[in-house]
Amino acid sequence: MKGNRSDKPNYVTDEERREFLKLGLKITGVLAGGSILSLVPLPEDEAKALVELEGYEKTSYKPHYVMVIRQNHCVDCEKCKEACVKTNHVPDYGYRTTILEKLAEDDEGKKFPIFMPVLCNHCLNPPCVRVCPTKATTKDPKTGIVVMHYHKCIGCKTCMAACPYNARYFNEEKRAIDKCNFCLDTRLSKGEKLTACAAACPAHVRVFGDFSDHESEVWKLVHQPDKAVWVLRPETGAKPCIFYMND
Amino acid sequence: MEKGIKIFLCIVFFFCFVAAGAAFAEDEEAEYPTEPIIFTKPVKAVIFDHKLHVEDSGLDCDSCHDDIFEMEAGTAEQNKDFTMKALYEGKYCGQCHDGDTAFASNTRCTLCHIGVKGYNRMTGVKPKGHGGHE
Repeated sequence: MKGNRSDKPNYVTDEERREFLKLGLKITGVLAGGSILSLVPLPEDEAKALVELEGYEKTSYKPHYVMVIRQNHCVDCEKCKEACVKTNHVPDYGYRTTILEKLAEDDEGKKFPIFMPVLCNHCLNPPCVRVCPTKATTKDPKTGIVVMHYHKCIGCKTCMAACPYNARYFNEEKRAIDKCNFCLDTRLSKGEKLTACAAACPAHVRVFGDFSDHESEVWKLVHQPDKAVWVLRPETGAKPCIFYMND
Repeated sequence: MEKGIKIFLCIVFFFCFVAAGAAFAEDEEAEYPTEPIIFTKPVKAVIFDHKLHVEDSGLDCDSCHDDIFEMEAGTAEQNKDFTMKALYEGKYCGQCHDGDTAFASNTRCTLCHIGVKGYNRMTGVKPKGHGGHE
């Protein structure tokens, strides 16, 4: 785990810092959810609606699968991880999804953990897809899911290095990179409506659905004018499709 | 007369001892498990600290025992209704954690829910490695 960026939400790389300064302190601080790069905390009303949703509305994916994470409801029971491992045969040396933890303090100075589920962000501009030399990882043209074509993967791990979210691992058995694919092969293609992790979550933390459908729960959750919504590492320009919020 | 006083003093001493004994017995009763109780069902894991509830919140044993919780640890966990829903209906922890007496059960989740990570830390279990990411 040492040195991995997404394991350390408070760690800021040089590139990020540069981007951060370029963009201006305020905006980046808010887009990062006030947790990663927040130097200038904004008042609640300014913090709202600062996630740039425009690009997300204009995709041609149908259904456009995304996930909204209601972060403050996560209690790290890890039933999602168990379900993912079982459904997608994930070995114990890797993960497709995991839960990060950091300590926070309440108003009385009492320490409590914040649990942050992480997985592949199925970015609109995925850096992993851009760098793959063999086109072994692509955007599924129908759903926008970032998928692996294991037979094309040469195991160079360039995608692992490119991913801002540490969402990829090398699967020894497959001799290829493996990653979350929203259970496309194991569940969605078989008629299931939810990913294994979303179905297993007892606290409705992982809300999965179609962002192209304005009646869907995911769309409605993100479009609440009084709620702050953020994505992780927005400064990379990858346009991640995992949205985070507290509600 | 002198004899009467002696008897009187004896009686006084006797009652002093009885009172002291009773007080001591009360101390005994006020003791509580010093190790936190960790619930693992229906989800891993929830912590309950007797020290915090007795010393900081000033509760007595009979505030919770045996009406809300049995004395024996792990009894409530065996019940099918030991869920958040039951808490919201005022059962178990929800008897106090109703937003009135103490913070409501549907708030501040991770103050009690320490998760698998918290459980592993408390029990000394090493989490499974992710070799692919080391």
